[in-house]
Amino acid sequence: MAESYSLAPIWFIDVFGSMLMILFSFLSVWYASRLRKIQPSNVVWTYLLWLCVALAGFAVSRGVGHVAKRFLLLADRRDLWLMLKPYSGAINSIAFVVVASITLFFQRVQRINTAILNDKKALEEASAEVMRLNSDLESLVQDRTRELAKSERKYRRIFEGSMDMIFILDSAARFVDINRSGLTTLGYNRREDLIGTHFAEILAHREDCDRLIRDLDERGFVRDREYNFITKNGSLLNVLLSATGRKNEVGEIESYEGIAKDITERVHMERQLQRADKLASLGQISTGIAHEINNPLGVMLGYTQLLLRDHSAGTQIHDDLKTIEKHARNCKTVVEDLLKFARSTTTRKDPVRVNECLDEVVSLLAHQFELDNVTVIKSLSLDLPEIIADGEKLKQVFMNLLMNARHAIAGKGVISIRTEPGAADNHVRITISDTGCGIPGEFIGKIFDPFFTTKPVGEGTGLGLSVSYGIIQDHNGTIEVESVPGEGSTFTVSLPVPAGVKSF
Amino acid sequence: MNCTGPSILTILALMASFLAPDSVHAFQSHAEPEALYGHQLAHAFFIIALAILAYWLRANRFTDLKGWFLIQVTCLLLILWNIAAIAGHWVEERIPDASLIGEPDWTQIIRLDTSPWAIYYYALKMDHLLCVPAIMCLFLGIRLLFRNALNEEVRKNG
Repeated sequence: MAESYSLAPIWFIDVFGSMLMILFSFLSVWYASRLRKIQPSNVVWTYLLWLCVALAGFAVSRGVGHVAKRFLLLADRRDLWLMLKPYSGAINSIAFVVVASITLFFQRVQRINTAILNDKKALEEASAEVMRLNSDLESLVQDRTRELAKSERKYRRIFEGSMDMIFILDSAARFVDINRSGLTTLGYNRREDLIGTHFAEILAHREDCDRLIRDLDERGFVRDREYNFITKNGSLLNVLLSATGRKNEVGEIESYEGIAKDITERVHMERQLQRADKLASLGQISTGIAHEINNPLGVMLGYTQLLLRDHSAGTQIHDDLKTIEKHARNCKTVVEDLLKFARSTTTRKDPVRVNECLDEVVSLLAHQFELDNVTVIKSLSLDLPEIIADGEKLKQVFMNLLMNARHAIAGKGVISIRTEPGAADNHVRITISDTGCGIPGEFIGKIFDPFFTTKPVGEGTGLGLSVSYGIIQDHNGTIEVESVPGEGSTFTVSLPVPAGVKSF
Repeated sequence: MNCTGPSILTILALMASFLAPDSVHAFQSHAEPEALYGHQLAHAFFIIALAILAYWLRANRFTDLKGWFLIQVTCLLLILWNIAAIAGHWVEERIPDASLIGEPDWTQIIRLDTSPWAIYYYALKMDHLLCVPAIMCLFLGIRLLFRNALNEEVRKNG
């Protein structure tokens, strides 16, 4: 038969091809299923599984149709095949559409998967960062704590090691913290004794506190202001204060921080110098006046005495001349005192034992002190060295100081006398303290001025301390006073010891 | 509430249809060629879907991986198969029944002199030579993707 070909190849390809289609499509489903299992979060694998399932369905619908057709026709069951054929074709067509529909979802699935993967990556990065922070947190905290501790130690050293007073007050101006130097300066042993105390309580003038706080609130700082602090034992300190007000983020004062420098010694020295200058000027004036008055007084006294020889006692003229002589002598005493203050009198300096001078003066006044209920306590150093001085003038100084002490004591009281060799310098120190009324602060700077007195008119000339000051100055010594009103005063005389003089 | 022109027209049309009923057709009759046309259109739809997938795989650089490349090959082979199937169905309609002689088994023969399309029918009947390699490529591609994913998981989990 011309131009005729066997359909056997087609038959075999059809049957075996259909079987292979089913086989490989199911293998694809199996691998896609495993793929989805190992990476369940990847939506593309789910898509691939659906695609494979759809293709498997397509392969089955097609393959079964083809194989069934071949075998049914082979088995001479054309009628059965003709019945199944429409179903096979229809299912096959539906299978195409399903596979094609699923195929079209790829882009959407891929976008979803990309979004999920991006989110997952971001989540994993965030999680890794959290894990890293978590694991590093402890070491970070330790490092930061170590740094803070180091910083704290550094600033604590500065705070505690400062020679100046450093303190912190809260917003109500109460002590929160103060350094060791501050405690020592203010005379406190324990920080707790001062914490919580109002700042005004250590100020001599409480109104200074209000002014200071107001300035800090308004300006934020004050610089180098002088204040008087009161120590725990009541003594006054001159301090130079710089302070700042620390504000929070809303502008409210949180705390005040201050640095105070104790300038008591400096102020004391300055006052001494001022006083010395003033007294030196007064001395010069006094010398001039005294010399000018002394000569006419001498003439007046001489002529008075000559006239007294011409008039017998008991007459009116004699009595009047006596009165003139008395007042002229008083004036001469004052003039001599002024000359002593101005160190214009001659002094005869010999080796003197200060303790003996004091004993003589005390024994002279002992009876009167006893009558006045004043107890004298002597604490005289046995190894006090001799000094070169005018003993009589020193006795006059001690007499003046003791008499002033007695006058300061109203009623019963104690006068303490103490001598001691100077610890650092080559001086002897004589301290006379009383438990009297003390000297008001405003008088402290004037007590050595000539004619300054708080006694009633006629009871004192106001030259006692001036003369004492002049005598001590004449001996190259110093005389200082400390006084707490209401508690008493302490006069300290310091006299130089010549080189080479040994203690007893 | 605003009543726009089209909505009023719709309501009027509905009212007219209710007020003036006519004979209705409950379902449409489908003549015999519809099944073939439907089948051919399904093939065409399948071709479009496969072409889009093949394009997306390339556009998104999936084909850089060998597994996805094989899946793209699957798409191309299935497109060819679909074209062959469409052509086969078309040719089948154009050859006379007398062209096939004998029982429809491996003993059956075809006469090529009965129609110029008979030779094409013979060739296009061997469409499995396209779709079987396509499915095999799909299998190989997925298996490769599976192995890659497995290695990745092993590497990730130590």
